[in-house]
Amino acid sequence: MHKLIERLAGYLPLDFRVLYRQFLLRVIDLESLSIQADVVRFLGQFAGVLIMISLISAIRAFVSTIAPPTTAAGWLNLEWGTEQSAIRTMMLVVGLLAVISWDSTFPDRKDVMVLSPLPVAPHTILFAKVCASGVLVGLAILALNFASGSAWSLILGSRRGGLGFFQFCAAWWLTMIAASAFLYCSVLTVQGFTALLFPRRVFLRLSAILQLAAFGLFLGTYFVQPSFTNPAEMAACEDHWILASSPPYWYFALFNQLNGSLPSQLRWLAIRAWTGLLLAVFGAASSLLLCYLHTMTKSVEEPDLVPGAGGFHWTPSFSNSLQTAIALFSIRSLTRSRQHRVAFAFYLAFVFAIALSLLRSELTADSPHPVTLEIILPTFSMMFFAVAGLRNVFALPISLTANWVLRTTQLRPTEEYVAATRRTLLLLAVAPVWLLSFALSFRFGPVQHVAVHLAVLALLGWILVELCLIGFYKVAFTCSYLPGKANIQLQFWGFVIALIAFVVPCAQLEESALHDSMKSAFMLTFLFASSCALFFFNRYLARSAVIYFEELPDEGITTLGLNA
Amino acid sequence: MLELQNLCRSFRGIPAIQDVSFKVAPGEVVGFLGPNGAGKSTTVKIITGMLRPNDGRVLFEGQDIRKDMVAFRSVLGYVPEEAHLYNYLSGLEYLQLVGRLRGLSEAMIETKATRLLKLLHLESWQYSPISSYSKGMRQRVLIAAALLHDPRLLIFDEPLSGLDVVSARLFKDLLELLAAEGKAVIYISHVLEVVEQVCNRVIVIAKGRILADAPPAELTKLMSLPNLESVFSQLVQQQDTRATAREMVEVMRIADER
Repeated sequence: MHKLIERLAGYLPLDFRVLYRQFLLRVIDLESLSIQADVVRFLGQFAGVLIMISLISAIRAFVSTIAPPTTAAGWLNLEWGTEQSAIRTMMLVVGLLAVISWDSTFPDRKDVMVLSPLPVAPHTILFAKVCASGVLVGLAILALNFASGSAWSLILGSRRGGLGFFQFCAAWWLTMIAASAFLYCSVLTVQGFTALLFPRRVFLRLSAILQLAAFGLFLGTYFVQPSFTNPAEMAACEDHWILASSPPYWYFALFNQLNGSLPSQLRWLAIRAWTGLLLAVFGAASSLLLCYLHTMTKSVEEPDLVPGAGGFHWTPSFSNSLQTAIALFSIRSLTRSRQHRVAFAFYLAFVFAIALSLLRSELTADSPHPVTLEIILPTFSMMFFAVAGLRNVFALPISLTANWVLRTTQLRPTEEYVAATRRTLLLLAVAPVWLLSFALSFRFGPVQHVAVHLAVLALLGWILVELCLIGFYKVAFTCSYLPGKANIQLQFWGFVIALIAFVVPCAQLEESALHDSMKSAFMLTFLFASSCALFFFNRYLARSAVIYFEELPDEGITTLGLNA
Repeated sequence: MLELQNLCRSFRGIPAIQDVSFKVAPGEVVGFLGPNGAGKSTTVKIITGMLRPNDGRVLFEGQDIRKDMVAFRSVLGYVPEEAHLYNYLSGLEYLQLVGRLRGLSEAMIETKATRLLKLLHLESWQYSPISSYSKGMRQRVLIAAALLHDPRLLIFDEPLSGLDVVSARLFKDLLELLAAEGKAVIYISHVLEVVEQVCNRVIVIAKGRILADAPPAELTKLMSLPNLESVFSQLVQQQDTRATAREMVEVMRIADER
């Protein structure tokens, strides 16, 4: 097999093969992930996660046969739920791939500068890039569906008898390919036409904003979109626009059309899927072609040094020069580094999804809600995600070689650096979530309860900030980390456990205390006292601490045991 | 003003510098020369407090800098060898960051930063991200940042790298004026003609040890050689560059036998 592939590959031009291999390793946005040499490992881990999801879904399929639905309606519920979930997950994965491979299919300035002097035709570069992106998406489709697609086809397709299994299996794979192609090509179309329509400088800024918006949109859609369990429910959907504007439902209809089980009242959704796919593929192909024809020439013609625009340059001032320096440095690093923006957007997407679901439930309610867990838990979770997310992003270094300037200008005690970091966390995480919660609480009442809840939320934010600052004696974005120490899996589970262990009990306590003014006053006093205690504790610790820029391994003495 | 006493530093058992000692007086421009890997950067990192010596100490005005690093840093201006900057900041934002970290007032930062940027011909680029700057422009930002707080000790590590002829001339004039102002300057460079012109004294280091410490004219006279470049070559026993160049051309000519 390996030899056959090698022989077939031998028919391809050498320059295409060399470039394809290069682009495949660069297809993910290194700037946003900062993994550099570990691309292969990263792709392997990513595929591993997808295979795991696929296997879990396959196990679910076989578990469903232990206690199978007894009615036709039950089977339909299972089938529809499975199909919608699979399509949504597939589109989320491809969406995330589109985010992490942002702009990689289009020629960048480096490609132009490096490849232009070499005897390589532009169309070879285009094909190599398209193939590299295609292979990445193809691998994701394969990894995510190889087990789940086969298992569900066996369980749900075989029930129809005859060629049911094959029809279901074909429908599954074709739908996943179509949905993935639609989403990836749509993203390429948007990127391509933005690059064509705007000057390069504007495009670079816009592209970064679009990347974040796409990230939030994909995650938000995944978490907020409702699931329909039968045709009647879907056809009777009051919010018709949800179906019309949500591609996952179009491809769900396409799945059923290919499977031969689409109700006639939903045929329009399948038509939308086909139209969308055609438009997206056409859009991507034309924008790619135009970009390769125009952008490559434009990149060479572009002057190397262009003076910046004057514009509006407002620099807010904080309590002292150090706090201003650190706060502005953090804000600028966060907003201008793609890697940090994407990492923080991951947490913000959860905040966004929670806020959206809260807003949706508020808009559908007829009368004002009492302040219950329905608002307390989401707002607490938002605060937790924002603060913990920002603290985690702060730990990612941005430009270690440039840190010398912070080292040689370290003229103030550590305490002041900690105070500056505190202010930044309060400003960038606590304040926005609090304001968002304030805006979202307009349908809740009575006012006193809302006021108490908002006060509790602010104090909780402060406590979270102080907890995050314990042992954090570094300037945000400047400290290196030891390889293997940032154990992502452990961090993730630690995060989930902390969320459940901290946020849920807090929300329950608040709910029980809200209806009693004495209890409310005691709760607020207790939280305020805790915040102050943690604040002074951090100040005390910081007095004897030293700002560090490098994580150093623990020094250990290994005994050889030669005396024994 | 600055005195290095028997500095030693090794990395994983391999000595980078051994017994390095010299003094720099106010108003003196000292050239610090050596081939790649001689120990110049290690010495400079120790002086700036970024690295601790295994042995020896650095005195500033008779006080060990380690005893009050903050006070020492507040009088130190440093231009590193590589123009490592936060590329996403603009030139002006970078100077503002440095000024604020040094505790200068906003008005002072504004006045000094804008005037320095203008004088260094970076006014039009002050709002552009440093990532869009050329090497010379980055170097000029570093020079401006080092001068912002009126330091008493200045360390310039390869400051001319990437600078155009006009900027290089400006820098040489600047060095003279800084010395006249009573600043102590350590100047590291591989451009020996410039060193010969601007430095009062030259220190040559190779394989971590100081080989010579004298005014350039005295060195050439002592070794009966025409210029500093010949002195340097003799001292550090440079390779036969002509032979190496010939070998490189031979490698280039190797034909593909396919």
